[in-house]
Amino acid sequence: MISINNLHASVEGKEILRGLNLEVKPGEVHAIMGPNGSGKSTLASVLAGREDYEVTQGTVSFNGKDLLDLSPEDRAREGLFLAFQYPVEIPGVSNINFLKTAINAIREYKGEGPMEAKDFLALVKEKQKLVELDGKLAGRSVNEGFSGGEKKRNEIFQMAMLEPKLAILDETDSGLDIDALRIVANGVNKLRSPERSFIVVTHYQRLLDYIVPDVVHVLWNGRIVKSGPKELALELEEKGYDWIKAEANTVEA
Amino acid sequence: MSTATQAMTLKEQLLEKFETELPSLFGEAALRRSAAQQFEATGFPTRKWEDYKYINPDAVLKKGFGTRIAAFRDITAEDVAELSPVKDAYVFVIINGHFVPDLSFSGELPDGLTVESIADAVVSDPAAKAHYAELADSAADPFIAINTALADSGLFMHIAQDSVIERPVHFLHIATNEVSAFLQPRHLVVAETNAQAILIETFESIGPVRSFTNVLAEVVVADNAKLDHYRLQTENEAGHLLSTVQAHVSANALYNTYTFTTGGAFVRNNLNVEIAGEHAEAHLYGLYLPSGNSVVDNHTLVDHQVPNCMSNELYKGVMYDHSQAVFNGKIYVQRDAQKTNAFQNNKNILLSDDASINTKPQLEIYADDVKCSHGTSTGRMDEEALFYLRTRGIGEDNARKLLVNAFAEEVVNAVPHEELRNYIDTLIARRMGTV
Amino acid sequence: MAAEQNPILEEHIASDYKYGFVSDIDTEFAPLGLNEDIVRFISDKKNEPEWMLEYRLKAYRYWLTLEEPKHWAHLDYPKIDFQAISYYAAPKKKATVGSLDEVDPELLKTFEKLGISLEEQKRLVGVESKIAVDAVIDSVSVKTTFKEVLAEKGIIFCSFSEAVQDHPELVRQYMGSVVPYTDNYYAALNSAVFSDGSFCYIPKGVRCPMELSTYFRINSAGTGQFERTLIIADEGAYVSYLEGCTAPQRDENQLHAAVVEIIAQRDGEVKYSTVQNWYPGDKEGKGGIYNFVTKRGICIGANSKISWTQVETGSAITWKYPSVILKGDNSVGEFYSVAVTNNMQQADTGTKMIHLGRNTRSTIISKGISAGFSNNSYRGLVRIAKGAKNARNFSQCDSLLMGDKCGAHTFPYIEINDKTGIVEHEATTSKIGEDQIFYCNQRGIDTEKAIGLIVNGYCREVLNQLPMEFAVEAQKLLSVSLEGSVG
Repeated sequence: MISINNLHASVEGKEILRGLNLEVKPGEVHAIMGPNGSGKSTLASVLAGREDYEVTQGTVSFNGKDLLDLSPEDRAREGLFLAFQYPVEIPGVSNINFLKTAINAIREYKGEGPMEAKDFLALVKEKQKLVELDGKLAGRSVNEGFSGGEKKRNEIFQMAMLEPKLAILDETDSGLDIDALRIVANGVNKLRSPERSFIVVTHYQRLLDYIVPDVVHVLWNGRIVKSGPKELALELEEKGYDWIKAEANTVEA
Repeated sequence: MSTATQAMTLKEQLLEKFETELPSLFGEAALRRSAAQQFEATGFPTRKWEDYKYINPDAVLKKGFGTRIAAFRDITAEDVAELSPVKDAYVFVIINGHFVPDLSFSGELPDGLTVESIADAVVSDPAAKAHYAELADSAADPFIAINTALADSGLFMHIAQDSVIERPVHFLHIATNEVSAFLQPRHLVVAETNAQAILIETFESIGPVRSFTNVLAEVVVADNAKLDHYRLQTENEAGHLLSTVQAHVSANALYNTYTFTTGGAFVRNNLNVEIAGEHAEAHLYGLYLPSGNSVVDNHTLVDHQVPNCMSNELYKGVMYDHSQAVFNGKIYVQRDAQKTNAFQNNKNILLSDDASINTKPQLEIYADDVKCSHGTSTGRMDEEALFYLRTRGIGEDNARKLLVNAFAEEVVNAVPHEELRNYIDTLIARRMGTV
Repeated sequence: MAAEQNPILEEHIASDYKYGFVSDIDTEFAPLGLNEDIVRFISDKKNEPEWMLEYRLKAYRYWLTLEEPKHWAHLDYPKIDFQAISYYAAPKKKATVGSLDEVDPELLKTFEKLGISLEEQKRLVGVESKIAVDAVIDSVSVKTTFKEVLAEKGIIFCSFSEAVQDHPELVRQYMGSVVPYTDNYYAALNSAVFSDGSFCYIPKGVRCPMELSTYFRINSAGTGQFERTLIIADEGAYVSYLEGCTAPQRDENQLHAAVVEIIAQRDGEVKYSTVQNWYPGDKEGKGGIYNFVTKRGICIGANSKISWTQVETGSAITWKYPSVILKGDNSVGEFYSVAVTNNMQQADTGTKMIHLGRNTRSTIISKGISAGFSNNSYRGLVRIAKGAKNARNFSQCDSLLMGDKCGAHTFPYIEINDKTGIVEHEATTSKIGEDQIFYCNQRGIDTEKAIGLIVNGYCREVLNQLPMEFAVEAQKLLSVSLEGSVG
């Protein structure tokens, strides 16, 4: 699915990712954990193609294509989806119009014609249920006036509509109460399939109770310093990150 | 034309025309004479005039506009139908500044609605006589003065007391002269007590010949009346337009204006609204999307003369290419106008390195128990929103269009008339090249 | 609620200008009127070099070609008779004073009455922070303190006249470089007849160890004051500069037309604070200073910063737009203003921020307070030139009205010629909150104090920008200027 090799990236001249390696196979769910400032959100942004981030070294191959060579929209059209940590409000653009435009742009990229309005609306209806999103929200402007929970649910709803191959959830759990967290996680679980992979970026283990990962990675100082089975997340919850840092420092020294 | 005329400035030509044509012009000669003298004293405004600081009508008029009127091409009933934004409107056609009854609505107007030639009405209709040139002050602006001096055609629209006219009235202006000309239609709109109506003015130009339309409309909204007034300005690169609206809003009345500018080489709107009766309300909406080398200048003045009134203004602009836009909005609250609520907002996006915006929102306030505010912001496209759209697979070009559309939508959504709103959406889409 | 029904108001308005006294100082005048001979007379009095006289004459001849500006500002006053003014008035003692003993004791008393100490020792041993003062009375600087201390750091702080004599190269390099004599009517007039003022140069990398300040005092009748201030912060230098002013209470109007120029080189920073308290005239609008001032700074080098803070409470007429030209990349311009008008005062004041360099930023915070029959206008320009990439401006202009006979106006001009510019302007107009006053009353605070409290709170953002000593003075001034304006 995606293969990241020796990825280095910097923001405003400051190096954040320093040789990151990651391999995600179809159907797998990988969790990326790490303390604040370790580079988790940078990784998500770099993969989605945010312009402020400069890749200075390394390669990312996405289903055989050079991901770093693609524009943000082409990455999306190739099946990469980023659920934003802070979903953007776009006053004046309705959710429906936004999604229709996105879906048709992706279809066009694949050489397909635009979706029939009837089919589109049916799809909206179906997918809304997935995240228990109120039908009224669909008519409102993108994320405008949404509560934190509604914004995150809207992200998952969009993911369901766009049916990506690889979804990156960037701290989707931040700012959610337990009910909203459960709804979001259920939505994600329903979207799990043998063809679809997930990278779940999170600071806390809590989300991983609901979205059970195949592999847990610990990111520190711009590199993955430890990988393990899902139990690693529990260990981190219990012992914090200091022991990992110490371990990593020993290795480095 | 003789070379003598060629060498004359437009001002001289107009004054000469005034002397020859005065005996044949409708209405009071004394009123026209004094307006002509006003105009003679000042001439056309230049950049040195504070109100014309950012544009230069004098220079624009030096492009060479004459006074001879001769149609460039015949306008047909099909043209009229095609240029009507709303199917069920009563359409009245003004070609090269002159009302053309043959192309206009000829059926029976509903009870309470009169639309007729201003030249006839000023002689025969008591309401027209009473209100003509009552609001437009020749001393206030040379364009008002020269229109008052020389106007020879236009429309009088009257809505009788208690009449509610459902279907819109449409004034369709077409500039399509054979030679470059200065055109001066003149309108008077009177909505009597408790009356309600919708007026749509559209401005088109056809053909490659330059025209300058100096149109003036006086609008009287009597007690408890309601008028929705639209101006859709879609002239081509040969069209130059100066549109003055002088409105008077009485007690408990509601006056809504919507000004959309998507075309024309030069557009200047002077929209002056007197809030003259208690509990009156005015809403001013504007959207301008200039491109190429065009210049769009919106001047608005909301004059609160009495207490307990409300005005709200929202103007938005998106500037393309080498275009230049100006917004100058003034809220004036007179000493007695306590408990005024007056708000004004102007927002702009520059889409090109060569475009510019000059904005001047002003508050001039002499009463203390008021709530007044204005705000203006100018910025580029929201890069974060653009990125978000792109991560959802929407191409950069389309994403930009979507965002411009969203920006404009706030103004478009204020239009209550659905068919018209859809038409305006089409104008915008056409302007952005998405259709 | 009308102002005249309030007895407290009557009392305060009658007596609130406490700097209205006249000092009996032996003074030498130039004859009334203005012509080339007067320009030569002033230059000669100051023993100026030929180049200075030439500059004055050029400015004078240019001034003759101009008409008195009137049409655009929101001000109303009679035509000024420029031939009825004396353009030079100086205390008769020698203009160059070595030690305090040589200063006319009457003059020292004057400054003491104004609360300005010209005695360095007192300040040095005291707990107060040190402020170096240049005291200007009518047309000349009478004393500059702490000159020697400053000189050790290479800082030049002296009267303008001295600078012309002792540092001609700096004066010639910078004078007129920010405000050329062709700039406007009053700048031309000032360039022709300016008599004195302050000069300040902070060399490369030096942080000026104390606040520099000039105290302007108009004393003589029938004179105008035309001072000129030039401040240069060289690369990496910093200075905070204060300006204060007062004048006697007189029935006639007196003209004050100053020019202030500031230059900030790369990484340099100048903070300029003014508390303007010229005599505002009486409650009928008789007398008072006409304050027509051109103040402008240029951030010439990258990362430089110029910050204007003004508290304007005095003058019958104020016409003043302290401005910043943001030429250097990443340079910063700031304008913080409180303008209070009461009785018949008129103020038309604001700023201009001209963005030329990349990543330049400006902030404008203006608080206008109108009471009595006064008119108070904010007039400002924000211009983003083409090529000034990523320029930012934020402006907030608020007006507070007290009573229903005054006016508050906002006239911003915003000109944007680069698509990367982001400019935001907000303005509000409101009256002082009756519920706030009532709340204070209910807690035992009388209305007078409550207004002072509320207005000071309203102006907090601006007052916070002032150096400590000035801020306290400014707060008192605000309360005094507005006492009794709401019944």
